[in-house]
Amino acid sequence: MYNREIRGALVEGNKTLGQISTDILSPMDKRPGIWWFIGMGLATIATFWGLYAMYYTIRFGIGTWGVNNSVGWGWAIINFVWWIGIGHAGTAFSIFLLILRQKWRTSINRAAEAMTVVAVGCAALFPALHMGRIWLAFYIFPYPNTRGPLWVNYNSPLFWDFIAITAYLLISFSFWYLGMLPDFATIRDRATSKVKKAVYGFFAMGWTGSSKQWLRFESLSFVLGGIAAVLVVSVHSIVSTDFAVSVIPGWHTTLFPPYFVVGAIFSGFAMVLTLTIVMRKLFNLQDYITSNHLNAVCKILIFISLIMGTAYATEVFIAWYSANPYEIFTFFHNRITGDYAFQFWAMVICNALIPQLFWFRKVRRNLTFVFIISLFINLGMWYERFNIVVTSLSKDYLPSNWSAYSPSITEIGIYVGTLGMFVAGVLLFFRYIPVIAASEVKSVWKAGEEGEGDKDEQHIR
Amino acid sequence: MTMDGKYIVGIFDEEKQVNKFIHALRAQNLFLAEAYTPYPVHSVLEAVKKRTRLKLAAYFYGLFGAAAVLAFLYYTAVISWPINYGGKPFNSFPSFIIITIILTILIVTLTSLATFSARGKLYPGKVAEIVHQRATDDKFVLIVKEDSQTDLHALFSSNGATEITERDTIPPEE
Repeated sequence: MYNREIRGALVEGNKTLGQISTDILSPMDKRPGIWWFIGMGLATIATFWGLYAMYYTIRFGIGTWGVNNSVGWGWAIINFVWWIGIGHAGTAFSIFLLILRQKWRTSINRAAEAMTVVAVGCAALFPALHMGRIWLAFYIFPYPNTRGPLWVNYNSPLFWDFIAITAYLLISFSFWYLGMLPDFATIRDRATSKVKKAVYGFFAMGWTGSSKQWLRFESLSFVLGGIAAVLVVSVHSIVSTDFAVSVIPGWHTTLFPPYFVVGAIFSGFAMVLTLTIVMRKLFNLQDYITSNHLNAVCKILIFISLIMGTAYATEVFIAWYSANPYEIFTFFHNRITGDYAFQFWAMVICNALIPQLFWFRKVRRNLTFVFIISLFINLGMWYERFNIVVTSLSKDYLPSNWSAYSPSITEIGIYVGTLGMFVAGVLLFFRYIPVIAASEVKSVWKAGEEGEGDKDEQHIR
Repeated sequence: MTMDGKYIVGIFDEEKQVNKFIHALRAQNLFLAEAYTPYPVHSVLEAVKKRTRLKLAAYFYGLFGAAAVLAFLYYTAVISWPINYGGKPFNSFPSFIIITIILTILIVTLTSLATFSARGKLYPGKVAEIVHQRATDDKFVLIVKEDSQTDLHALFSSNGATEITERDTIPPEE
């Protein structure tokens, strides 16, 4: 089949099935290295700073942030969109690559899904805190109440957003957990310690790998995969409508939904690269996450980077072509030049130009370069959101309204806190959950070798 | 599942041998009674002669979910307490579609998972009935009901089964 020539072997080394289990599951038996404790320590400190900043926000109100009447959305929404974007990788990996029958996804999807769940959790904190009076958060649920009943406004993208994020979190968690059932059962059956057997046995839900279970498992993966594919596109489209339906120069454009969805997948895949490069190094998983896998992700990133570049160019072109003075001002005098030119050019360079280095095979095969470029993309995507949120709000129609924005220490603290939570979540995942979907790798382990694999191409795994 | 007649259990190390065995088994017009594999092997899933209607159920959950959400939105926004948002119609259908799609996906996911759990009797803390300790690791466990016409032991061993045992019962299907 086609992937034989292009991808090479999906699992390197001459493994047996038992060895695959051992290689993937053995890091969980050992005490993690010193790096784990250092990382966890730093993440815990960051988390505590974040929790304190959240407490401070709730105790004293949004006035502790740098936002003002003109720039009503600051770091909170920037970081919200950034985290949600990163959270798109897991589903994109699992679902799009599942639908496209890309078997190489099996080594990476578990980590990408874990990242999704943690990142979406981090993201959800921001709008909740930005509500100001978080104890009234339940008002956003459409429930029968004694105020009329007063129902929520279904025309509001903010309500769509709430629905989308909640659904996305629940669904990506379900999908992730479903995929882990067979692996938990493997751990249960291999465990020698009683505690481990009991704990993983509890979470394995009585999985035995019987034919009926696999039949249902495959059907369910297919169903969840099929419908969640819609979700990957719709969630970030909805996030983009938070901006696009408001009549603010630089926001009010139909380009936003595709632009945001592609941007989300871009930052998500970059974060997957960052994470898997670290993961394969720390756990010696080079045979499973091969340079062929990372190479494939890099190639996708070139393509997405080109789309991002096109989107940036389109925005600027349409601003000029519309001859709308406010649009022209925003793009040409407040983004390309002006107070926020640095953020604009940082975005263009990190997202549209630097990833073009992946055209060179030597760069794609040099993991140090790949790692550094992936960090640049993460940074560039953050600047993109800063660029969108702050430039448009700081100088809108009325010059007397203009205002500058810089974050307060509280806002920075919340952001650092979510970074800490993310790292802590990922480290816990590394420690207690098989980082690669062992049962899925087993099913493709001979794919890519001569005369094996791909005979069940019509079946979706 | 208790029935008269014994079950022959064969353990395989490789998928290739499993496929060969199933080919031979099907040539005798026999089916597998049950199989435990570390990953879904499609020849096995075809040879157990079982099917699942989970996809069909999910389809109906989706229909039900979409109708229920739309009805709820219509009831709350048009009947229960209509509010004029800038002159937009109470029944602002295009906005409703977005919410309906997302909530339908959520409903299908949750109900399908519930069905998966209920039908397969899979729930946290359930004690698994393990036929072979390594079936979730690296062994393929195939179980065939005894047949008077065929020497199953020979069929198993000639196709590379490393271990052949007999059982009186097999765990219930779920």
